Amino acid sequence: MRTKRDLDILFNPRSIAFIGASQNPAKWGFIIPLNILKGQFKGELYPVNPRLESFLGIPCYPSVGAIPGSVDLAIITTPAKTVPSLIDECGAKGIRFVIVVSSNFSETGPEGAELERELVERAGRYGITIVGPNTMGIYSAASRLNALMPPVVPLEGRLSMFSQSGNVGVQMLYWGNNKGLGFNKFVSSGNEADLTCEDYLAYFGDDEATEVILGYMEGIDPGSDLIRVARRVCRKKPVLIFKGGRTATGGKAAASHSGAMAGSSRVLKGVFRQAGIVEIAESQGLIDAAKIFSAYPIPKGNRVGILTRGGGWGVITADACEEHGLVVPPLPEEIIRRLDKILPPYWSRGNPVDMAANILLEPFMECMEALAEWDEVDSVIALGGSIQGIFDFEAKVEGTKELKEVIILAREVAREYTTQNDVVLDHTRDLVDRTGKPVVVVTLGDYEGFKSDLRDHGVVSYPTPERAVKALKRMVEYRRFLDSPVEEI
Amino acid sequence: MNILEEALKRGEKTLSENDSKRFLAEHGIPVTKEKIATSEGEAVKIAGEIGYPVVLKASGSEFAHKTEMNLIELDLRTETEVREAFKRLTGNPKAKVEEVLVQQMIKGDRELVVGLTRDPQFGPCVMFGLGGIFTEILEDVAFRVAPLTRWDAYDMMEDIKAKKILEAFRGKPAVDREVLADILITIGKIGLDYDLVKEIDVNPLKILNGKPVAVDALVVLDTDAAKQ
Repeated sequence: MRTKRDLDILFNPRSIAFIGASQNPAKWGFIIPLNILKGQFKGELYPVNPRLESFLGIPCYPSVGAIPGSVDLAIITTPAKTVPSLIDECGAKGIRFVIVVSSNFSETGPEGAELERELVERAGRYGITIVGPNTMGIYSAASRLNALMPPVVPLEGRLSMFSQSGNVGVQMLYWGNNKGLGFNKFVSSGNEADLTCEDYLAYFGDDEATEVILGYMEGIDPGSDLIRVARRVCRKKPVLIFKGGRTATGGKAAASHSGAMAGSSRVLKGVFRQAGIVEIAESQGLIDAAKIFSAYPIPKGNRVGILTRGGGWGVITADACEEHGLVVPPLPEEIIRRLDKILPPYWSRGNPVDMAANILLEPFMECMEALAEWDEVDSVIALGGSIQGIFDFEAKVEGTKELKEVIILAREVAREYTTQNDVVLDHTRDLVDRTGKPVVVVTLGDYEGFKSDLRDHGVVSYPTPERAVKALKRMVEYRRFLDSPVEEI
Repeated sequence: MNILEEALKRGEKTLSENDSKRFLAEHGIPVTKEKIATSEGEAVKIAGEIGYPVVLKASGSEFAHKTEMNLIELDLRTETEVREAFKRLTGNPKAKVEEVLVQQMIKGDRELVVGLTRDPQFGPCVMFGLGGIFTEILEDVAFRVAPLTRWDAYDMMEDIKAKKILEAFRGKPAVDREVLADILITIGKIGLDYDLVKEIDVNPLKILNGKPVAVDALVVLDTDAAKQ
């Protein structure tokens, strides 16, 4: 078993030497330090380039050795062949962590692989830990460290991610921004010459600022401890992993992509299930699952109460539940009696609870409350919780003067009504906190509010019932693992 | 000397059906009652001991696809049938059969598969799923890496699409999951304990009155591991 790696300094460095600072705006040596400065890094940044005296308004140093004071972390973007000797310089300076952004290592062939071995061997001499090479960088909310290639500024949150693909990982950060989902730490693991996915997983597992772990993986090294590490971590917090290279075609692409060996998908599926890892098979699903796991408590079981404003969507949702192993139990007498007081006499009297086209907010909130408080369900799916978009404010009004006036008045009422959406969302979150059950909102269609639903109200919403059901199902799977006995083997 | 080393000494890459089952039985896996016969008279004697009906199979590690080569004689109910079947097997023009395996005939009502493979990343992995001819057609199997906990073994049974096959149906009792779990855990343990065992196929694992029994088995040896 590998020794555990303490990555506190990597994610919270007090000072960074940036080797390869460049004034060419098209080079990573310009873009990455710009992102670090723009992100208002809390520590010191020391750009290194013998040909520059200053860089983006701060002093530039001719070498790592010339930097005054101590340095915790170095980031290198210079060509691959220059890297091993730079490691010597970092070692002499007493630097503990080096992020090698430069590519042209093992991913390009035997020559690069040889250079990579040399890099690791030299780092070992000085006790230096390497991220990469061929990485897109790291992010850490606590120290406002934005050492990434693209200019993404992630929202701050409790989710931490490692990714064997830089661009897939970074896309998750962008999607997180669009959906109000915050990150705590992120690392693009690159070629994993030294630090590997299992090191990041173990570290995030013990990291108190991390509540949910996300991973994108293509290969797992033979003899890897990943599963043993995952078994331990998954008992403490959810680990969601997207495994690329599942099929023969994808696998081939993976082998030439990250220099990684793709495993047999069936074996991997079983192994993930044993370890308690929540396996995700679509890119969209990863962010959908990340949302619900980071915002909601894990349901106690698989029983779902469904609330809908219209019958058809309730049917679709109930079907999706059944297909994904979720149970939609019938309503007991006392809940029917409770709902009778809220709904018109012709309501469905079953689960899904069909509000029979009632669009008012009060009854919707009361029904949602009745379902969440019903002790025979473990979670609630509420369809049409948002009433945004039901009135087209942009449409041109035509017709008689009287008609125009009425329509304009109706619009004002609707606009007023729309602003009350926040009341519904806050009520929803309150129900989640009070009952300990996920209450998932389905908006039915694209809508501008996904970001604020989660960021400002702590409510998880999806555009379709299918996506809501899949996300819930993953939580139910994780519950199953949490409830399984801990057996010594 | 154990079964594996003896087979390697004879230069075999796989154990014969009988040796495979003897090896599995040594580890507590339920197998068919069976014995090798080298003569017609011996076959009849063994059949009497096991009890009719019996099955006769050509024995030897070189006979891997017995059905295709007409090297299996099923459902033999009398001494005469055993004698005739013995003659047919030893007289098969396509194969040189010197020994015949006399085996308890298990009808069973369901066929499952249990196996061991070695994954380059995770090492020994246990396979479980739908057996018989359906293994290859439906590929309804699940894997777990060894060692398996009891929960892993039970979870595997839930992990195949045809999981209902384990429940009671058409008057037949449900499969004894306790015994099945023991088998799955044991297969994983064999993978961890014996580097010489490369793969195992138990197919079919038949269900008789709810109890699983290994009806056919194949243990593949790792001749590279043997050289080390």
